[in-house]
Amino acid sequence: MSLPLRRSVRIAPVALLLLVALCVPAPAQAPKSGGVLTIHPLSAPPSLSPHEESTIATVQPASACYSNLLYFDPAKRQESESTLIPELAERWSWQDNYRNLVFLLRKDVKWHDGKPFTSQDVKYTFDVVRGAPDAAAKLRVNPRKLWYENVEHIEAPDPHTVVFRLKRPQPSLLLMLASGYSPVYPAHVPLAELKTRCVGTGPFKLKDYRPGEFVELVRNPDYFVKGRPHLDGVKWVIIKDRSTQIAALQAGQLDVGGSGWNKANAETAKKGKPELVVQESDSNVNVNVLVNFQKGPLADARVRRAVDLALDRKAFKEGPMLGAATFGGAMLPRPAGVWGLPAAEVAKLSGMGDSTKQKAQARKLLADAGFGPANPLKLTVSTRAVAIYVDPASWMVDQLRQVGIDAVLEQIETGVWHPKMTRLDFQVALNLTGIGIDDPDANFYENFKCGSQRNFSGYCSEEIDKLIAQQSQTVDRVARLQLVNEIDRRLQADGARPVLGWQKQWAVHWPHVKAYPQHENSIYNVTRFQDVWLDK
Amino acid sequence: MRGYVVKRLLIAIVTLVGMSMVIFSLMRLAPGNIVDIIFESAGYVDQADKRQLEHELGVDRPIPAQYVRWVGELVQGDLGKSYRYDMRAWRIIKPRLPVTLELAGLALLFSILLGVPFGVISAARQNRPIDYVLRVVSLAGLSMPSFWLGMVVILVLVRSLGWIPSVTYVSPLDDLRANLWQFVVPALAVGYRSSALIMRITRSAMLEVMREDYIRTARAKGQRGTLVVWRHALRNASLPVITLIGIEFAFLIGGLVVTETVFNLPGVARYLVDAIQFRDYPVVQNLTMFIAIVVVLANLAVDLLYAWVDPRIKYGRA
Repeated sequence: MSLPLRRSVRIAPVALLLLVALCVPAPAQAPKSGGVLTIHPLSAPPSLSPHEESTIATVQPASACYSNLLYFDPAKRQESESTLIPELAERWSWQDNYRNLVFLLRKDVKWHDGKPFTSQDVKYTFDVVRGAPDAAAKLRVNPRKLWYENVEHIEAPDPHTVVFRLKRPQPSLLLMLASGYSPVYPAHVPLAELKTRCVGTGPFKLKDYRPGEFVELVRNPDYFVKGRPHLDGVKWVIIKDRSTQIAALQAGQLDVGGSGWNKANAETAKKGKPELVVQESDSNVNVNVLVNFQKGPLADARVRRAVDLALDRKAFKEGPMLGAATFGGAMLPRPAGVWGLPAAEVAKLSGMGDSTKQKAQARKLLADAGFGPANPLKLTVSTRAVAIYVDPASWMVDQLRQVGIDAVLEQIETGVWHPKMTRLDFQVALNLTGIGIDDPDANFYENFKCGSQRNFSGYCSEEIDKLIAQQSQTVDRVARLQLVNEIDRRLQADGARPVLGWQKQWAVHWPHVKAYPQHENSIYNVTRFQDVWLDK
Repeated sequence: MRGYVVKRLLIAIVTLVGMSMVIFSLMRLAPGNIVDIIFESAGYVDQADKRQLEHELGVDRPIPAQYVRWVGELVQGDLGKSYRYDMRAWRIIKPRLPVTLELAGLALLFSILLGVPFGVISAARQNRPIDYVLRVVSLAGLSMPSFWLGMVVILVLVRSLGWIPSVTYVSPLDDLRANLWQFVVPALAVGYRSSALIMRITRSAMLEVMREDYIRTARAKGQRGTLVVWRHALRNASLPVITLIGIEFAFLIGGLVVTETVFNLPGVARYLVDAIQFRDYPVVQNLTMFIAIVVVLANLAVDLLYAWVDPRIKYGRA
């Protein structure tokens, strides 16, 4: 059946308009001002001072209060050198073949207490953090001193210029300075006060902080980015129990949930309230196996290899990770990560092949090392007594038993966990490692360099140390990537710290929360919240 | 009576001194210390910095010296400084006390309001349908842990009403109504278990009393049944009930860890567990002493109540 010509002519423009309307994207909604974003942190922050802590629980609420010299663009999902944006620094440049890093600072910035921000604050902060002999103050605990070991001197030639003079080129320094762990502190406020009182230059000011209860922030009207933040405030409510976090989100008492959740938690929340928005992405937190290289049965390379082969990575993903993990080596795999091994190589790593064959190989290696059914290898798998550790560790025990290892699980209370690991007081352990930024220096120096205090396996290779130093000062990105991949390959071959999988992360929020940032290669650098707004 | 009270107070002081020693020693016997935790979780240990911090916190001193220092400060009303939060311990403990006291008080109130009348009714209607129903209700209360009940209640509330009690503490001074809404559900969840216990004790004590001659005499003299039950029998059956209420209150002050966690109430018990994990000695010691004082005082109050409830009990005489 065909329409009469006149009618068709009448309909045609309407149809054309409809077609155009469907093809042209709707204009982006203009952000609205006002409202308080209510959210929960991973756990109770031990203090509000990021420079003194090594937990995201501090970085999460404190980030909105402070500014860095530069920061990772919240809107870009992958953090890298190309996504750095200026904050307190208007511009920066490398000079003298990456030996000097010069920052030109903004002139319109005030601290939350009204005092002007100057280059002296930057010099003070990073002299303190690098533990300079002439630093004006000293941190009680200084977890990231290692990051700034290569800084020889910091100069503040005028109130708006800062120069970092390095011992050798180190392109990674820029990324470390952009981390949520690297805010600029006020030189005029004692460090001890900053543990409970936040005086920053960020988009939000501290209103109230009750340890173990909440951190409440309000809009900073003097924030140097005009028109920001959109929110009137941010309230971080500390909720310890995960089912209460989910219920609070579903009941509308939280706008955003998801920190520390697994896939099942996100799905439960969504099932109860289908209108919730679930953002899933990769993260730079991996589940890894610490093998004691220095004492016990795992000092034998054959036993280490057998343990590595016994752990079926695909079963790990489908089992304790509920299907939510990616596979890789020591660096976060691509495409979420910048420095990971190519996918083809990842597919050939230990534990990635045919499970039956690999387990047979593991049994043979154990037999070669003198262990068998009559004389089984007895192994204690240590882990932290926290559900996210215990679940994969229980799975690991089962996998080891499948190759004839008489494995038992040892749960260690949080207060004793790190001291025990640092003393290498374990045989084999299941651990979670979060890396502040997706960067080889931040990862390799901390976790694999001989003698590093977080090198919990006690792995040590002079050759690897040389390669780590070499990649660190390689300015050409392609050449550096090749070096980083080579280090990763060798670490995997040595079974330095076998990675079972890289975790996914979730942000679950109500639809009225707009521009909520999530990065796929970091969990640490997203909670400035200056662009977030509520469509209420 | 005065002599008895003085004697009991002296015993209470001795008990508290003994408890302070036990609490202090137990904390030191647990493996790990706060300095290790602070430094090694940061992955950076400078031995000089570590020694300085140990000195600053006073944990490098001999244990008896640490104990004397703590007790000395406690006597002067100084609760010391939280190792974990690097702030005065009192500033952390103070806002938590009213939360736990309110929750425990409300839970106890609910448990008495439910447990005593149900126990009396159950005894007065022994082996009748209402007795069976109440006994099943009380058995259910004893069988269900309050934290489990709390979780179920939260799930049911969020599913059916899309509402749960506020997860941020609301002070009664700021908004009494919102405060009561926040506390009523957890208090009922906790109070239900206690009410079941009180009901069973009330019932058995009542059954025993109601077989006494003076009850039979009262009935024979023509007194109304309800008057006999509520005035004569209940008063004489209340001694074990009062004892139980005292014990329950003391238990509630320190035993609300999971309920406070599930309902996100920033109380003493929840915080105590965190503080133990981080070996935050000043906070743990002082919170535990607070609980010990409440227990001792609750027991003292119960003993004093005996004389008021049962005039046959006289203190201070052989």
